[in-house]
Amino acid sequence: MIAPERVYPQLKNWILAALPPDEYERLSPHMEYVQLPHGQVLIEHGEPILFVYFPNDALISLVTQLSDGATVEAGVAGREGMVGLPVVLGGDSTPMQSVVQIPGTAIKIKARVIRDAFNRGGALHSRLLGYAHALFVEVAQSAACNAHHHLDERLARWLLTSSDAVEAEELPLTQEFIATMMGVRRAGVTCAALTLREAGLIIYNRGHIKILDRDGLEAAACECYRAIKAQFKTLMGNGK
Amino acid sequence: MSNSEKPQPPTSQNRLLAALPGKEYELLAPHMQRVSFEQGQSIYEPNEPIEDAYFPLNGVISMLITTQDGSSVEIGLVGREGFVGYQPLLGMKSAPNGAITQIPGFSLKIKSKMLKEAFDRGGRLQALLQRHIQSQIVQMAQGAACNRLHEVNERLARWLLMMHDRADSDKLPLTHEFLSQMLGANRATVSLTAGIFQQAELIRYARGTVTILNREGLENIACECYGVVKAEFDRSFDI
Repeated sequence: MIAPERVYPQLKNWILAALPPDEYERLSPHMEYVQLPHGQVLIEHGEPILFVYFPNDALISLVTQLSDGATVEAGVAGREGMVGLPVVLGGDSTPMQSVVQIPGTAIKIKARVIRDAFNRGGALHSRLLGYAHALFVEVAQSAACNAHHHLDERLARWLLTSSDAVEAEELPLTQEFIATMMGVRRAGVTCAALTLREAGLIIYNRGHIKILDRDGLEAAACECYRAIKAQFKTLMGNGK
Repeated sequence: MSNSEKPQPPTSQNRLLAALPGKEYELLAPHMQRVSFEQGQSIYEPNEPIEDAYFPLNGVISMLITTQDGSSVEIGLVGREGFVGYQPLLGMKSAPNGAITQIPGFSLKIKSKMLKEAFDRGGRLQALLQRHIQSQIVQMAQGAACNRLHEVNERLARWLLMMHDRADSDKLPLTHEFLSQMLGANRATVSLTAGIFQQAELIRYARGTVTILNREGLENIACECYGVVKAEFDRSFDI
């Protein structure tokens, strides 16, 4: 078998990249590299989950969808995670939707295959459980944040989180998409973005936002950014 | 009446424990100890080591996030359908959120170390607890949307129904201050909304006790989040 590093030098997904060789080799015949375009729905709420996705450099929003069509993001999954956690925790479907926020690659695996591998225990099992905890913390923090923090702070946090996940300062995102994810009106995002731009923290034009002053943006973000980041740092630091 | 004088609920009242096969339950039982919590009692402090898990038999536990300005927002409720102290099962020692007793009651307490040993053996216990953690994530994600988009009256109705489902009584010991903290909403708005519910004879509110008078009426007002989360927890026992 060809070593995966040679074929895909950019295998960045934290859960897969550091699996012990025997676990990796059992899974690798079932791995499919896929390109995920912006806006693609990977898991539809209430529908059976047939595949899981390990983002490599794509970023996926985990979204609660309300019956009137309104959506609010509760968390994101990037290279530290897996989209389709209900499959291993024991559900065939979920009320949440997973939609591609920043396009990129991911490794796609059949739900049945990952469930069997998870149930065998080992590093995959403990990493996915650790990820479940980090996601739990992220979603909890988002719930509090949405009730409590101002839009400017939330936008700053949101941009930093996305930027960290894809390791880029420039994000291919429209204000409309951001408004949908944050559960606010487009005008609200425009106003908050203007505040951040006037402070010299970001610039933006059609469909792109660029972070100019990271430290400044961190200072402008609510505490939730640091709280969630610390949790993922702990997780990934414990991982080896 | 203090907890020690109250009738003792049977162990089978916790739905997770009740769903275990006899053999698995018998392995856990010698390590579980009945404890009672008073209203407002802290169960976990944020970022402190978690050494015990609790399976409520009655009463309600709130999971809270405290923000830097000192205010708390509830992120989830746990009653006899669940347990608290899942973190050590996932390999973590603590969590940034805390937990307090919302409605006093009894829980079965077990050392996290013992529970983790049983969990790592697999079986139905592992399946049920993992599935329950997934439902908790859904509960919080729904809350993230609900806190953002739904009106205080819908959220108050939802929250009262969630409490009522988990309490043994129509009488819920709750102050307005506590309610507004739980909903992450302005106290005056919550008081006003509770006043409207009282005028509509949905609830009666007196001296720190909310009595549920018309459950169906509250169900009509509550946002869809009530049904979504309830269905998710109910489904979690189907595995």
